[in-house]
Amino acid sequence: MHPLDRLFEKSSRSLAQRTSRRSFVAVLGQVLTGTLLLPLLPIDRVNRAEAAAAAGAALPPPHQPSDDPQSCDYWKYCAIDGFLCSCCGGSAHSCPPGSSASVIAWIGTCHNPSDGRDYIVSYNDCCGKSSCGNCACNRNEREKPLYRLSRNNDFNWCAANNDSNYHCTVSVILGAAEQ
Amino acid sequence: MPAARRALRQTLFGLAAAAGLSAIALAGPAQDYVLNCMGCHGASAEGVPGKVPALARTLVQFMRLPAGRSYVLRVPGASNSMLSDAQLAEVLNWIAAHFGAAQLPASAPLFTAQEVAVQRRTPMVSVQATRSQVVKDLAAGGSAPDEHY
Repeated sequence: MHPLDRLFEKSSRSLAQRTSRRSFVAVLGQVLTGTLLLPLLPIDRVNRAEAAAAAGAALPPPHQPSDDPQSCDYWKYCAIDGFLCSCCGGSAHSCPPGSSASVIAWIGTCHNPSDGRDYIVSYNDCCGKSSCGNCACNRNEREKPLYRLSRNNDFNWCAANNDSNYHCTVSVILGAAEQ
Repeated sequence: MPAARRALRQTLFGLAAAAGLSAIALAGPAQDYVLNCMGCHGASAEGVPGKVPALARTLVQFMRLPAGRSYVLRVPGASNSMLSDAQLAEVLNWIAAHFGAAQLPASAPLFTAQEVAVQRRTPMVSVQATRSQVVKDLAAGGSAPDEHY
């Protein structure tokens, strides 16, 4: 027998004579249980909470207002969900050639930081062509979950048009909103 | 300006102008209509034939009968809206006055928050069957909306 094999046989037999598999399983179980219960102990985590809050305060706000109509952060796009027509051959309020505005629309309210007023904005989909694919925006401020169907935006607003293919979305100001 | 683009712009400006919305501040039931109803029913409350029922001229017809009033308050768009009972009553009365005042019979009372509170919390099993029955009842006593919108 090779000396190395003899060494391993001897050490294995010695280990088997000194320990039992049952005790090994019991110790392993204690270690695992202890590991799981350790986070449940009443440890003071105030310091970590303060550090996390400080880190969060340092983060930039989720949407910096933009004056660029081809940016999702443009103020008028606060409740938009779709491709910007301004990136698809149209403009912020006009459909690209070959598509037509949806007859039904998602309507939201956006705050204009320039004058500090709220405006009612109609988000009409442009229909009749395949998806544009440029400048995908998904801000959906004030949207409600699907069980609030009248205030949910996850809908193809081209569904009421003769051609229900969705291409992109325009934003049209309907008026100023009052609280 | 391409013809299609010009047509769209005219359409969208027409939407706002039709409801008297351009360059004005909205408030009260007019604003509630825009934010909660206009997206589907349209600026003139004419709906979309075959897909979205009209409110113009038809709402006041439903208001003539208790069953019609109950139907209006229990359709999903009304009963499940985010509006409070008082706001829903107010916006329906506003729609009746602005999009069908000529057809509104003097005998038809306006909606109240109490009436809305009772009706909107009573589920409607079949919208189409209920509408068909209400339309038949209305037709027996005068003008009635189409059974199928």
